Amino acid sequence: MLASIIASGLAVGAIYALIGITYNTMFATSRVMSFTAGQLGMLGGVFGSLFMLRLGVPLLPALLLTLACCALVGVLTEIVAVRPVLNSLEQHLYVLTTLAVALLIQHTTAMEWSTEPQPFPRLTNIGSGVLDEKYWLPVAACVVTILGLEYLYRRTLVGRAFVAIAEDNFAARALGLPERNLRMASYALAGAIGALAGFAGGQLLLAFFANGPLLNFYGFIPVALGGLGNNRGAVIGGILLGLFQQAANFLVGGIFSSVAVFTLFIIVLLAAPQGMFGAQAARRV
Amino acid sequence: MSATTDTVPLRAGILPKVAGPLSPLWPFLLLLAIAAAVPLTGNAYWGLIATRMAIYWVLVTGLNLIVGYAGQLAIGYVALLSVGAYTTSVLAAGNVAAPLPAFAALGCAGVVGAVFGVIVGLPALRLRTFYFAMTTLGFATIVNQITLAWQDVTGGGIGITGPEMPAPFDTTWGLLYLCLGFAVVCTWLTANVARSRFGRALVAVRDAEVAAEASGIRKPRLLVLVFMLAGALAAIAGGLFATLQTYITPDAFTFDLSLLFFIAILIGGRGSILGPLLGTVILTLLPEIAAPLASWSTSLYAVLLLVIVLAMPGGIAAMIDPRSRRKLPANRVIAPRAEALDTLLGQRTVPEPMRLLGIVLAFGGVRAIDGVDLTVAPGQVHGLIGPNGSGKTTTLNVISGYYRPESGGMAIGAAPLPAGDPEGRAALRIARTFQTPRLIGEASVLENVMIGGTVDGTAGFAEALFSLPRQRAEERDLEARARLALAAVGLADLAGARADRLQHSELRFMEIARALMLRPSFLLLDEPAAGLSTEEIRRLGALVRAISRHGTGVLLVEHHADLIFDICDQVTVLNLGKVLAAGTPAEIRVHKEVVSAYLGA
Amino acid sequence: MKITRRALALGGTGLAVGASLSRPALAQNEPIRIGWLAALTGPSSAPAVGFNRGVLFAAEALNAAGGVKGRRIEIITRDTQGDPTKAVNATQEMISQLRVNAIWGPTNSGESLAVTAIMARAKMPNIHPCVVDTLIDPRRYPNAFRISPSNTQWDDAVRNYCMQRINAKKVAVIGDTTGYGVSAANASVAGFQRAGAEVVYKANIDATQPDMTPDMLRARNAGAEAIVIWSVTTGMIARMLNTRATMNWDVPFVGHPSLSSGEIGSLIERPQNWEKVYAIGYRSCSRDAAGNLPPRTAELVQRLSGKVNLQDTLLWWVACAIDAVNLVARAVDATGSTANEAIIGNWNATREYPGFYGTYTWSPTEHNGYPTDEVVMSAANTARDGAFALAPGY
Repeated sequence: MLASIIASGLAVGAIYALIGITYNTMFATSRVMSFTAGQLGMLGGVFGSLFMLRLGVPLLPALLLTLACCALVGVLTEIVAVRPVLNSLEQHLYVLTTLAVALLIQHTTAMEWSTEPQPFPRLTNIGSGVLDEKYWLPVAACVVTILGLEYLYRRTLVGRAFVAIAEDNFAARALGLPERNLRMASYALAGAIGALAGFAGGQLLLAFFANGPLLNFYGFIPVALGGLGNNRGAVIGGILLGLFQQAANFLVGGIFSSVAVFTLFIIVLLAAPQGMFGAQAARRV
Repeated sequence: MSATTDTVPLRAGILPKVAGPLSPLWPFLLLLAIAAAVPLTGNAYWGLIATRMAIYWVLVTGLNLIVGYAGQLAIGYVALLSVGAYTTSVLAAGNVAAPLPAFAALGCAGVVGAVFGVIVGLPALRLRTFYFAMTTLGFATIVNQITLAWQDVTGGGIGITGPEMPAPFDTTWGLLYLCLGFAVVCTWLTANVARSRFGRALVAVRDAEVAAEASGIRKPRLLVLVFMLAGALAAIAGGLFATLQTYITPDAFTFDLSLLFFIAILIGGRGSILGPLLGTVILTLLPEIAAPLASWSTSLYAVLLLVIVLAMPGGIAAMIDPRSRRKLPANRVIAPRAEALDTLLGQRTVPEPMRLLGIVLAFGGVRAIDGVDLTVAPGQVHGLIGPNGSGKTTTLNVISGYYRPESGGMAIGAAPLPAGDPEGRAALRIARTFQTPRLIGEASVLENVMIGGTVDGTAGFAEALFSLPRQRAEERDLEARARLALAAVGLADLAGARADRLQHSELRFMEIARALMLRPSFLLLDEPAAGLSTEEIRRLGALVRAISRHGTGVLLVEHHADLIFDICDQVTVLNLGKVLAAGTPAEIRVHKEVVSAYLGA
Repeated sequence: MKITRRALALGGTGLAVGASLSRPALAQNEPIRIGWLAALTGPSSAPAVGFNRGVLFAAEALNAAGGVKGRRIEIITRDTQGDPTKAVNATQEMISQLRVNAIWGPTNSGESLAVTAIMARAKMPNIHPCVVDTLIDPRRYPNAFRISPSNTQWDDAVRNYCMQRINAKKVAVIGDTTGYGVSAANASVAGFQRAGAEVVYKANIDATQPDMTPDMLRARNAGAEAIVIWSVTTGMIARMLNTRATMNWDVPFVGHPSLSSGEIGSLIERPQNWEKVYAIGYRSCSRDAAGNLPPRTAELVQRLSGKVNLQDTLLWWVACAIDAVNLVARAVDATGSTANEAIIGNWNATREYPGFYGTYTWSPTEHNGYPTDEVVMSAANTARDGAFALAPGY
């Protein structure tokens, strides 16, 4: 029983961590927290199910199509909801625009896809019991994403440009970095990461329109715990959250576990607003 | 401190009346008349819709202070509606104690709502916007789960019967008039808050937090008061909601409903009361008129939200606000008036000098200030100059409490000036301006200036809420003083204009007017001449000089060497965080190191 | 005929607009207006979509036969999306603005709880298919009549099946965390305990919980001989069925009709995971061992064929809605009046009215009209044209 709690805790934790990284990736180049992060995860599951089960596309092309579709959603989000409000970041209009886009995504999915959870296919048929693919796939996806991002940020020119922009927007622009293109690229990347989370977790979460707000919230907690912009913090926070949530489900039942998770989240945030690994707030005067 | 009431005779003809949040009043009365006339149709359906609007509006009035005025993104406010609905229903049904009469239960709900309002709001004191929005959503979930689980009291999923109001409010029309009555009272109460120093402080915290602190506004106290009020109003709305629904279950308190409240305020426009009222009316009516679109209503909300934010960020309020269209005089000049300054500052006891001794402050190993000594004498202008990065503004920030020095002491006379505590400086009559003007763009120039006098308010929140005589007298006083301050800096004619329509140079003078509201013992000016024309610099110099002659000690950080040498009595030159030289302008002008390091030439 | 949800919603409201514009006419020529409160979109809209097909079919059939005493049946639909607030608005609109003669619905208990008192105040004749017991109270709500079983009847059927036909003395009761799931599970536990059975495990599971293994393990370790499910969440039910298969446990699942929802068929990993699952069903809409429906139902299916799609819905939803419309029509036909009292009076005198879905009996003191012995359990994975095979033991 402990094994199954740990297996599912790690699995959902990895999904939450990936959504947390989705938040971070969008934040890095735009300083915007987007409500669409969870919806991208939801779309990963829905597109995966759509391509593989309804349209019969094989695994690899279906995965690529899913990532591409969500990357496109990411870019559209940037164009519609982020770019127009970047000039007035301090008014926090992005909260409203990204909320609007998130609602549109979710509601369109509800109308055009289904309001009932739809099946997600098995992908590899490797493993059973607590080592079933539905448990290890999200963890694997999380590891691949982290390694990929490390490589991108450390070894590639584009990745270093991302880091430069994340660290100092003005300086990066002064250096002549194509800030707008990099921002769109990071939104596309975020879309793909969110899609990967939904795709890898498809068998656990199913292709269900209501997963969006859920992932939005549970994916945000790792960001809050791990510190904004800190991907390693997000992974640790995500895994901790996943384990805590599954253990709470088991120990106190479904109703009180969500109360426990939310209460803990609020208390931790109040105690450490910067998260466990976050940087101090910037100077104001 | 007694406020000056005998103002300089100002030309009455050009005095633009400052528009309060309920002015003009006729749209409110028109809406009320329409709602009150619904019974004439004899159609209970429209009665229900009108009652629903009134109830939602009761909640939105309070939430408006949080979202529209204070700028805190409380998305999950349906939690408070739920708390109020359940408290009223449970107490009226007698599930926990002897059944209470409906109105008593409603009153209890208000109290419970005030407490919950603070709990839901507390994270706002520590967290940034998006984080706070998420915690309100968390609270909405928690409240929902608890109403489900606590079956003995709340009826769990089966729900509970809503309270029934006593006669004559037990009919469709009786309930409508009761809710309209609540709506009118709540509109009046929140309008009172909005136009009081509390309301201005909320907007200041939202748009110019640093300036708000320098004006002595303590954000936590202010927000807690407003969260209490908004929580109480939302809970009362919840009680009325339960009565209207006749029966409540947890699934009546949907996220969509929460969004309706939130979006009503945003499409209405920030810092307005009429706008959110119209927003509430529109969003309540829309689904009824557009019944064929019922299934797309969420998308409709979303698109509406997106279009409003992108196309007209000011919302309905900006469209109907005459101030944003009225032409400002084209060839206006800033003409400070000495007699207004005389009246404003008057004769005061001269303060003791302010001394800084051995101040050291490092940012991550870099010593921004490294042992600075400085004395600002009352009645004198003290110039602080030096190359970029020499620690001038940092010194100012240490004095105004934004930075805590690692060592060194500050004192006014014999009394030590505590490090940190930026909100405490205003009470000590230390005022300041900023390198980039910190203003509330949507508020009028007059209101911006009135912010500066916040600490002199003695009337409490409750007095402001009910607009009691002392509060009204203080407001009149404050307004008179603000007009004087504007006249003193030469912006009297722009009192009614929106601050964001002013030119840059005018904003610099507006900031000085705001600082003058404190009748400061010490005035810290951070590069006030930047971006001003030669003529304007000359007038600024005369103004600063005049201010100091009324006993105020002025500390002037400036790059314009001419201005410094023109008006300063003392000059301190900083370099790399250390005092390079100090003395009279004449001494500094010939100081060798200063000339080579800074003045060049 | 393929009917999409949106087309239905639009069609319904088109009728409504027509009604509000029509000028007052002589009562004899005025249509009989039936308000239809349907959660046609949003989550848990599947039943209302099914009901709606029956409603439209019945109205069409009645009108094609010349209406009732020469008066047309007019259906006025409002999509409540399952939201109690929208349901309250729509109900008041039907009462005060559209002046309907009777209301059919709403279809979800949350909405129904919110509108029952409002309809009672207006003495609006109301038939609904919601199971919550407190919705029916002839003293407080003399206008409200239930056309389906009550939750107690459902509960009885499930309990009796567990205890008498599969001989389970130890049961695990599991609900989801929605309002219905919580209260139904509590009621079920109380019922089992009163009947002398042992409830060895009880849980309310968050429908989004990805893994059901811990709960299932606990139920097995506690010695459960049957798992009783109270949830409309197909995702959760399917996960539990998959977990049961992984555990190689052959415990029977008994409970809510959602166990037989077609969605589950697509969510389970292997078709055999859906064996030994028994959902609440109705004798009228169940096939016997020979695979035949009762004659009256068979005749209805015959009439429906080609007109109403039964593939992706349940027959009882369609049949129940047809009965509801017919009961309104019958009352008007018998009394010659669309007055509230006339319709309610007629319903109060209903004795063993043979509908397609059930045989209804109402009296002034009993507004639960569905006969208990017609509530049966059906094998969940045997859906064909919206009807099921009877569970083993009947």
